[in-house]
Amino acid sequence: MSCGDPHDEECREVLDEVYSYLDREVTRMDVERIKHHLAECAPCLQQFDLEEALKSLVRRSCTEPAPETLRIRIMSQITTIRVQLDG
Amino acid sequence: MSEPTPATGSEVEIDLGEPGATRAPEDESPGDRVARFEADALQYLDQLYSAAMRMTRNPADAEDLVQEAFTKAFASFHQYRPGTNLKAWLYRILTNTYINSYRKKQRQPLQSAAEEIEDWQLARAESHTSTGLRSAEHEALDRLPDSDVKDALQALPEEFRMAVYYADVEGFAYKEIAEIMGTPIGTVMSRLHRGRRQLRAMLEDYARDRGLVAATSGDATEEVRS
Repeated sequence: MSCGDPHDEECREVLDEVYSYLDREVTRMDVERIKHHLAECAPCLQQFDLEEALKSLVRRSCTEPAPETLRIRIMSQITTIRVQLDG
Repeated sequence: MSEPTPATGSEVEIDLGEPGATRAPEDESPGDRVARFEADALQYLDQLYSAAMRMTRNPADAEDLVQEAFTKAFASFHQYRPGTNLKAWLYRILTNTYINSYRKKQRQPLQSAAEEIEDWQLARAESHTSTGLRSAEHEALDRLPDSDVKDALQALPEEFRMAVYYADVEGFAYKEIAEIMGTPIGTVMSRLHRGRRQLRAMLEDYARDRGLVAATSGDATEEVRS
């Protein structure tokens, strides 16, 4: 599973950054450090993979087009405001 | 850099631009402004509608909310500074409109700040040995229908739900989410952390209910799939 080294402290630090890493909110240097750790620590890699899967699952599931009538409603209301601006 | 204005006032704060910054041309005719608004702002209609669905949790309210937000945005469009982040500006208006017009109606309890901090610190003490989900569950998650994911998101407290939505669906940076939600970046991170952990726990339950994973916890789920 793991590299066998006693590196629990390092794991904790890396796991603390799982979301920042997946959200691209860490520095290039941190990216390298985390990648290095993941390359040799299977449990951490698994955890990162799972969080990444969840992130893409949310993205996949939550997009829905607005009804076409909504665009018409909005443009009609905006045009009304425009007429008021004109007048 | 100044602190973002909290999105809780009765007045809608919608000008994310710097004071005295360049604004839309003053000689722009109302007709030109309508055309510019339709081309630039209305392209985000579907995205704002998706977000409004996550906020209001029903199509009728989502439509009304989006219409009200776009109407306010148009009325203030002269304050929008061209070249700055229009999408974030629109989301900020949507968020403020929601808070001022809809949330009062729905009466959702707010998370206390103390509770957030406590949970955030607990989360930091976590290690990978404590997780219930393992690699086999990736596939189970992928097979969950969209409706399950939406239901799970709906069940999250509003602040968590929207933070997760902004980060995962819209791909906003933490700084942008902080501006949209009117909170410090640390609060955004805390909301994301708690929201994602709760979401994961719920989806794990859904996957079990649907028989997609064995009804066990911990090590047993590490079985080798050959």
